[in-house]
Amino acid sequence: MTLILQQLVEGLASGTIYAALAVALVMIHRATRIVNFAQGEMATFCVYLAWQMTVWGLPLYVALAIAAVLSFILGAAVFRLAIRPILSAPPEAIVVSCIGLFIGFQAMSLWLWGSDNLQFPRLFSNTIWTIADVRISANTAGMLVTLALLAGLLAAMFRFTRIGLAMRAAAAEREKSPYVGIEVETMLTLGWGLAAVFGFIAAVLAAPSLFLSPTMMLSVIIYALAAATLGGWDSPAGAIVGGLVVGVAETLGTTLVKAIGAELRLAIPFLLITLILFVRPQGLFGRSGTTRV
Amino acid sequence: MNALEIHGLSAGYGGQPIVRDIRLTVGTGEIVALLGANGAGKTTTLRAASGVLRHSGKLHLDGQDISGVSAARRVALGLAHVPQGRGTFVDFSVEENLRLGAYSVTSAQRIQDDTAYWFGVFPRLKERRAQLAGSLSGGEQQMLAIARAMMTRPKVLMCDEPSLGLAPAVTADLFVLLRDLAADRGTGILIVEQNAHLTLEIAARAYVLEHGEIAIEGSAATLSRNSEIQRAYLGIEA
Amino acid sequence: MRRPTLRPALLGLAAFAALACVPAVLPGFMVFQASIALTYAIAILGLNLLMGFNGQVSLAQGVFFAIGGYVVAILMVDYAVPVWLALAAAVAGNAILGALVGIPALRLQGLQLAILTLVLAALVPPLVMRFDKITKGTSGISIDKPEPPAWLPLDQDSFVYFLCLAGAGLCVLVMSQLIHGETGRMLRAVRDNPVIAESFGVHVARTRIATFATSAAFGGFAGGLFALVNAFVSPDSFQLFKSFEFLAGAIIGGITSMTGAFIGAVIVVFLPEWSSHISLAMAGLIYGGTLVVMMLVAREGVAGLIGKTLSRAGAASLSMASQTKPHPKPETRTMVLAEKE
Ligand SMILES: Nc1ncnc2c1ncn2[C@@H]1O[C@H](COP(=O)(O)OP(=O)(O)OP(=O)(O)O)[C@@H](O)[C@H]1O
Ligand SMILES: [Mg+2]
Repeated sequence: MTLILQQLVEGLASGTIYAALAVALVMIHRATRIVNFAQGEMATFCVYLAWQMTVWGLPLYVALAIAAVLSFILGAAVFRLAIRPILSAPPEAIVVSCIGLFIGFQAMSLWLWGSDNLQFPRLFSNTIWTIADVRISANTAGMLVTLALLAGLLAAMFRFTRIGLAMRAAAAEREKSPYVGIEVETMLTLGWGLAAVFGFIAAVLAAPSLFLSPTMMLSVIIYALAAATLGGWDSPAGAIVGGLVVGVAETLGTTLVKAIGAELRLAIPFLLITLILFVRPQGLFGRSGTTRV
Repeated sequence: MNALEIHGLSAGYGGQPIVRDIRLTVGTGEIVALLGANGAGKTTTLRAASGVLRHSGKLHLDGQDISGVSAARRVALGLAHVPQGRGTFVDFSVEENLRLGAYSVTSAQRIQDDTAYWFGVFPRLKERRAQLAGSLSGGEQQMLAIARAMMTRPKVLMCDEPSLGLAPAVTADLFVLLRDLAADRGTGILIVEQNAHLTLEIAARAYVLEHGEIAIEGSAATLSRNSEIQRAYLGIEA
Repeated sequence: MRRPTLRPALLGLAAFAALACVPAVLPGFMVFQASIALTYAIAILGLNLLMGFNGQVSLAQGVFFAIGGYVVAILMVDYAVPVWLALAAAVAGNAILGALVGIPALRLQGLQLAILTLVLAALVPPLVMRFDKITKGTSGISIDKPEPPAWLPLDQDSFVYFLCLAGAGLCVLVMSQLIHGETGRMLRAVRDNPVIAESFGVHVARTRIATFATSAAFGGFAGGLFALVNAFVSPDSFQLFKSFEFLAGAIIGGITSMTGAFIGAVIVVFLPEWSSHISLAMAGLIYGGTLVVMMLVAREGVAGLIGKTLSRAGAASLSMASQTKPHPKPETRTMVLAEKE
């Protein structure tokens, strides 16, 4: 029992990473019907930027704040330059662009910082609390609190602010939004920027345990795809729940099912996706409807 | 000065011209009807005027040239458009629809006042303020669409077939509302309708569009008196 | 064009003859790469069939490619099976597997299948590691390249190249059989209007599963040939990235064009190579950037672009399918494979 609880806690910790990246994927999909395969590589690049700034002597939190802003700009710029001109192109064209971005950003990280695994500082202390035999690190708790805060902020923004409402409107009703004065492309640009910030946060949370390398987010994006599918591709709340579920399923699955073992970790998101697609294709929080790549 | 002046407006889809050389004015507080058969290009004209469709020609709103201005900016400058069909954001609540309508309004106080005002005009909407617009009845949605468009306190309101799918009694209420808007607030109203008979009762002037061009223009009184025109263009048997 | 006319057939022959000269003209290492490109082209042809006729974007082609490669390697090395039989087994095995995957895939929409197959493709290297008793894990399996028969004055690499070329030629022939005439009409009917097709007695589900199986068989065949060319298989050759490359190659070439499959294959094989000549450090950056820019200028694929340019210049069609319909709305997917009705 204790073992299971322990695994649960650890699963939640990695779940926060998947959740944050899944939120990014879902935000972009909701607004532009695109699955941005390159989200993880863009995020990694921005974590390298933060790392570089700490090397230059900036305090960690300052570096992170600047890199978050840069992530926003990067996401917005990628949309304006590479995606917006082909928004009306067949979906396959956009898939290739995303593959191009994926290759390009990975290569850029490799070129500038090499392929070595770099140590990235933890955001939270190493203190460990023991509650009923279950060990919870301050790091895990910090990650969960961070995610909860971000989710709350995002929800509040979408619900209560003028910009948030307009972003939702532009995503849901691209045709009608101009009739109320919303510049749709501006909103989509903001959406891509914001998504890039969420991707960045996912990568920052992942970097201390996975070590910073150009391919760091390669497997994370697989879990995030599972999380988004589980939650539903148009629901940021679903993405968060999905991320946590995937995280827990991953740790529990690898410990409890011996046949899976350490090597076949990736089989768990695959099984989850298969299950959800055939039981409830629109996802737990999604409404039925059609989607495209 | 006219609230809206349109000169030599041409527009179409995919390089195919649909409406050509439209010339049209709407005075302050004036109701103007744009009539024509199905497919004549009425919707296309309105979409071009509000800027969601690329067009050539000149448009002036209250004397200001808005020809090169984006659709979103035109709304902010006071040109409102209730598009044909469901002009509401179906996945958003009634209240959110009004907030969206007020997107270009900066004063929170004014948004609050106007929301209260329109809830006063349409108590049914107030009761359903938290309900999704998509779950409202057709008549309620049309009311919401108009209230939404009025949140910017526009100089000109363009309505594309507001009576579509409404019961005659509801349509009559709606037309009374539009007449009051023009009279009390001085809003210029450009109304596209199939229902020529009823429309000519509240309109001061009318244009008849045929194959994408203005075929006839005149006072509503003249048009409703001329049975020749009515038969030929408006499908009304005198 | 109802039947394949003489013209494309002649053009095809000419292209085949030109490709046959490659070993004589190009230096050795490029012959190796050209062989790889041919195997890619075969995989891409299969993917085109799937995307063009089932309208499904799949990242599973790399999976079938990997299975084909391992089947050939294991059969040849562990069981001393002759080359042609090993290749046949790779084709048959993948066709069956493709049909099995195709059945559930019927129920999935574009995005869903793309994601599921992406994750499946990412699962290939871990699976190879997990079953390392059979696959030899990271150490991989070395294969002896097939020897040219004594009467042929060819070195080994050129021989393998011709083997691939013959394979590619065979695939092009099979493909033209499929997309022209009766079968083609049936495929198009199923794609464009399944309800009407059904009422005319076409078994829609079965047709779509068969398309999936054929596409997978192409992938398996390509993987088998790849194992021969490379003379070695290991998880490194079958990373997720391989599936990305096939998809990119298919779309860059233009999913509606057989010529495009070859153009796409050449681009994804040689572009990284050329990029690394420009600057080793920035190779990936140039590669990725080129993909993005290509989509900005040629969203319908290179073959489509060439076709358009040619028809604008008044010349006749170069590719079998330079006619790509414009996409009227982002939501509607109209795909035209091969000829116009
Ligand atoms: N999005 C579009 N793309 C291409 N053609 C269009 C489009 N919308 C309208 N058309 C064409 O433009 C012409 C005019 O259409 P429009 O909608 O302006 O007519 P209308 O006068 O509003 O008709 P109705 O009374 O039926 O609403 C029609 O022939 C129509 O087929
Ligand atoms: Mg109309």
